[in-house]
Amino acid sequence: MARLGIVIVVLLAGCSGGRVESAKTQTAGASKQVWRIAVIPKATSLQYWKSVRAGAERAAREAGNIEIIWKGPAQESNSAGQIEVVRNMITQKVDGICLAPNHSEALVSVVQEANDESIPVVLFDSGLAGDAKHVSFVASDNRHGGQIAAQRLAEVLGDKGNVILMRYRAGSESTEERETGFLDEIARHPGIRVLSSDQYGEATAKSAMEKANQLLLKYQGDVNGVFAVCEPNCHGLLQALEQAGLAGKVKFVAFDPSDMLIKAMEQGKLHGIVLQDPVNIGYLAVKTMADHLSGRKVENRVPTGEHVATPENMATEKIRSLLNPEMFGESK
Amino acid sequence: MSDTCDAQQVRRPPSGKSLGFRAEWGPLLALCAIVLLFAVLDAVWGSGRFASIRNLRVVLNQTSIVAVAALGMTLVIVSGGIDLSAGTALSLSATIMAYCLKENWPVAATVAVTLGVGCACGLVNGGLIAGLRVVPFIVTLGTMTVYLGLGKILCDESTVFPSYEQIPGWLHSLCSTRPPDLVWQFVPNVPPGVLLAGLCAVIVAAVLHFTVFGRYVFALGSNEMTARLCGVNIPLMKVAVYCLAGLFTGIAGMYHFATLKIGNPTEGVGLELQIIAAVVIGGGSLSGGRGSVSGALAGAAIMAVIRSGCDQLEVPNPYQEILIGVIIIAAVALDRLRGMQRA
Repeated sequence: MARLGIVIVVLLAGCSGGRVESAKTQTAGASKQVWRIAVIPKATSLQYWKSVRAGAERAAREAGNIEIIWKGPAQESNSAGQIEVVRNMITQKVDGICLAPNHSEALVSVVQEANDESIPVVLFDSGLAGDAKHVSFVASDNRHGGQIAAQRLAEVLGDKGNVILMRYRAGSESTEERETGFLDEIARHPGIRVLSSDQYGEATAKSAMEKANQLLLKYQGDVNGVFAVCEPNCHGLLQALEQAGLAGKVKFVAFDPSDMLIKAMEQGKLHGIVLQDPVNIGYLAVKTMADHLSGRKVENRVPTGEHVATPENMATEKIRSLLNPEMFGESK
Repeated sequence: MSDTCDAQQVRRPPSGKSLGFRAEWGPLLALCAIVLLFAVLDAVWGSGRFASIRNLRVVLNQTSIVAVAALGMTLVIVSGGIDLSAGTALSLSATIMAYCLKENWPVAATVAVTLGVGCACGLVNGGLIAGLRVVPFIVTLGTMTVYLGLGKILCDESTVFPSYEQIPGWLHSLCSTRPPDLVWQFVPNVPPGVLLAGLCAVIVAAVLHFTVFGRYVFALGSNEMTARLCGVNIPLMKVAVYCLAGLFTGIAGMYHFATLKIGNPTEGVGLELQIIAAVVIGGGSLSGGRGSVSGALAGAAIMAVIRSGCDQLEVPNPYQEILIGVIIIAAVALDRLRGMQRA
């Protein structure tokens, strides 16, 4: 029985710890009906998702009758973990699910399961293949994001030179769109040649750094510009550039900001960051779901905007607010 | 377990005094307690849906994937080994399955190849361990990344996804948790994969407890030297154990594919630790000679129940992860304490 005792104590400790945090997310619903909306990101650890959460919570506060259940898989690369979370949210009979699918194919059947149980789904950040029904798709135009990255890289290269595109991982719809957009736009600049576009940095900064080290070694002396498509990969690429003594010499355009990347841009090691508006993505995802639940008509594609930050424009107020987006848990 | 060369003792079925009532039922009791605890907590603070028929289906389904692989791992761990390559071998099997379906292979051939690849992975592990006399930890640490690499080559460093029509109906429903809640009006609807896992468990338990092979597995894990002196063909046994374990890894790979509907070799990375944890929570000893099918099933279920319960109670992931870690250590520590009392 000693085992049971310990198990119970641990569970109680874990649960009470958890309740404190989740209690904060509950909004005072007063007498109106309270909608419980599960918001399921691809991961919970990156700064990007904390900003998405800040927007989602803001939408909930404004509506006043929404409770957000924020729950992601522990690991960004894990579709099986995300499927389990979605299933558990369906079990909870939440009123709506906002989902950023980790894989465009793997999450299809679980969205169909939500359809079966009459739970509406809003997709955000990344799309889904196939014919699973969803209320709306709230995301940046990632292809356009890739295009403006290519334009910025062409601009700083003076329209000539050799570039490397480091991909993220296969099956991630949002980053594949960025990669496609980038290559499409580069093709319109005949002076620029793509040295490599078939290498994947994978999910962590460490794996991206190792890949980037090898790429920089292989194309040493030839490479003039590099582009990586998401935050962890840009970190890895930046580290690799610094270790190779190429930071600042090789033109570098990143996608999604972080403190480290902003600092690198101030130091001239980074020449552009494509910015999405994560706070807006989270805000519009929850707002679209709320509109749908209260019977208002919603668009089936909600764009959220994308921009390029450069060393020149990074002091302007608009860009500054996108470079340092509000994050959940920070008072602002 | 005995260290003396006594054929009678080595061959004795492990269900006697050495594994008494409490040791066998401990993990199951813990499972019941955890289910009960979450049901109560959820009824008080949550939405009261933890103890629903739908959740029974979801949790059993989630359990079955880890449980099937844990059956194989139980054999390996009881025999005194370990298989760190189970996670990537599992996703390699799943990737092969996706590949075969995409290439429009006949369903029977696809299943045969999927399970065959699982067996082959086990065969390689067992062959290397027995042939090179390198400890299983090292061999499977190596094959872990070998299988990951093979999977990536197979799918060209991408993911393989057959279209909806290319996947046979039974595979769609194998791990499906879609409604209805009840079949024939009163029987809870559980996915066929759960029933198949149950069948596999019964077979493995029977093999472990009622066959000479099963007794040899325990003998091998209790004391390899003694087993050898008693005439057990050690290399052959090792190969057989890993190969059989590989079969279950292959079946688990099929479950994995049925859940994801894609073949992605990186999905299995880290899964081996869940599988090993299931066996260990269930009373398996990493020094060999001890472990049970019911324990491994309970171990797999405990982890699925905790994840489900924490989701229902809206416990954030970090607490959930700490909780699972603490339970693994607590389960083994208590087991050890009990062992010392016995001694």
